[in-house]
Amino acid sequence: MGLLTILKKMKQKEREMRLLMLGLDNAGKTTILKKFNGEDVSTISPTLGFNIKTLEHRGFKLNIWDVGGQKSLRSYWRNYFESTDGLVWVVDSADRLRLGDCRQELSALLLEERLAGATLLVFANKQDLPGALSKEAIREALALDDIKSHHWCIIGCSAVTGDNLLAGVDWLTDDIAARIFTAD
Amino acid sequence: MYFIGIFCSLAAWYLFICSKCKVQPQNSRGQCDNKTVCKSDVHTSACRRHPTNMDAVVDASAENAVHGEDGAAKLQDRLQRRHQARIEDTERRKEAKQSQSVAEEKIGYFSSTFNSERASIAELLSTCSGADRAAATQKLEDATVKTAQLQKFVNDSVCFLTQYELRQAQDALQKLQASLAETREEALPKKKFAFRSRTKAAEKVSKQATDSPPDVGRSPDSGITKTDGAPASQQCGFSYMNNAFLTKTAEEILNQDVLLTHLTNCKVRLFGSPSTLHLKHIDSCEILCGPVSTSVFVDNCRNSILAVACQQLRTHNTTDTQVYLHVTSRAIIEDCKGVSFAPLSWSYPTMQEDFSVSGLDPGRNNWNQVDDFNWLAAGTPSPNWTVIPEEDRKTTWDP
Ligand SMILES: Nc1nc2c(ncn2[C@@H]2O[C@H](COP(=O)(O)OP(=O)(O)OP(=O)(O)O)[C@@H](O)[C@H]2O)c(=O)[nH]1
Ligand SMILES: [Mg+2]
Repeated sequence: MGLLTILKKMKQKEREMRLLMLGLDNAGKTTILKKFNGEDVSTISPTLGFNIKTLEHRGFKLNIWDVGGQKSLRSYWRNYFESTDGLVWVVDSADRLRLGDCRQELSALLLEERLAGATLLVFANKQDLPGALSKEAIREALALDDIKSHHWCIIGCSAVTGDNLLAGVDWLTDDIAARIFTAD
Repeated sequence: MYFIGIFCSLAAWYLFICSKCKVQPQNSRGQCDNKTVCKSDVHTSACRRHPTNMDAVVDASAENAVHGEDGAAKLQDRLQRRHQARIEDTERRKEAKQSQSVAEEKIGYFSSTFNSERASIAELLSTCSGADRAAATQKLEDATVKTAQLQKFVNDSVCFLTQYELRQAQDALQKLQASLAETREEALPKKKFAFRSRTKAAEKVSKQATDSPPDVGRSPDSGITKTDGAPASQQCGFSYMNNAFLTKTAEEILNQDVLLTHLTNCKVRLFGSPSTLHLKHIDSCEILCGPVSTSVFVDNCRNSILAVACQQLRTHNTTDTQVYLHVTSRAIIEDCKGVSFAPLSWSYPTMQEDFSVSGLDPGRNNWNQVDDFNWLAAGTPSPNWTVIPEEDRKTTWDP
């Protein structure tokens, strides 16, 4: 048995998943992470670096990496690609002016070899804002239907109200589990 | 790296099952959780319950036995059991001690490896200055590869580090990356070297993906409940105006996302509490806005004065602009020059009410804690922003 096989076996035993959360700055990544974990979201600063949270969810151990999205930090994103099971792409649905940037950054990520096995969840965040685009509009703007390389799903949510965060994470963990924890 | 991962997993797997109760403590690999205590604490406290139960059982049977018919035999039995219990107890303690020391060993191994790697990268960087371009290029490339490897080492060790150690490592890595960027800037100015070297470095450390390939082409649109936004509602705000005086009332902006774009020579007053505020392409304006419940996003603003209260201020590509600020988390700047800050001094009659609507804490203002994302060097302050000297601060505002 090779080392990688052992590692994979251990991973199965632990039912552990590594999720990487990326998106433009101000999208609401850290807020989603904290809200999901039931923490106070009113004191969050723009992320200079990254946050890691490990939490238990439906019998899975989720290792969630939230990396800052400011332009000057995006070149470091690649440092976090390794062993990612799920990619959570967070979009500020009210930020129409940067949807182009958002699309470009996402499509660049999907070409990354080290993210090739990952499931993609797109959170169309800030649905509580009156000017937010619907998830259908975001789906079109990001050309999600053209994605053939990854399992994907888009979900409208609000980190402030907590709406649909659970639905998104449930879909993601189910999809990953079906892929990596199936008995050999 | 993988070896450590396996070692960690194996150790965690067999050590943290209490040998007595065969029950795995709830959070079987501890550490990772930001809030959990040390793994071995969980283990020992889970086990500590056992001896108590055991003693109780032994004592109860002893009482029943004392005046029994064949007391001697029962006494023998009792002593035997006690002895057994004691042996098991000692075993258990020994085990607990061992697991503790294995945990310490892993952490010890991590720290020493991490620190020596970090030192060697720092050493490498320190020899860059003064080296000729080719040599410096080589060194920087090596340092980049090593830093990426170190990052991976930390990533792989997350499962057995405590929150404190993890934070230490993160901070150290961040500093390392900052000084790497700084050295690169110094040793190899101008040339677009950074990106190329980073790509290369990333490729070098890249390992084969451990996951199986995905089923290509499956794109589910799940039937999960949707929270759609209002159908293309009118954006609240002002755009493409010159030399205008623009205001909005509390009712107009309550919980809205307000957008101001392409304004020149305008005075804007937003008397109320929007949910977010976006400013883009602003030139020579004076913009005052009540408490914003989440973030204010500023992009391409020049020669202007802003006054605002918010949870986060995110300033980009902005020059020569004064910000009178109340911010409850932090302000950041990126690609900015000549931005200056002072505490918010503008107010209007219903501002207190709007503060409570926004949920912002009026007593918490971090206006002078500004992170410059282009200036990660610790120690030296960013040249891109300043504090407005008290005597130069604006104290009176036009209505
Ligand atoms: N109205 C509204 N605001 C939100 C929502 N999610 C996040 N925000 C706000 O958006 C701002 C940015 O949120 P963060 O979580 O810091 O964003 P981020 O994606 O982590 O940003 P970086 O760390 O810079 O990459 C904060 O002021 C949040 O309060 C949401 O669902 N609705
Ligand atoms: Mg963040």
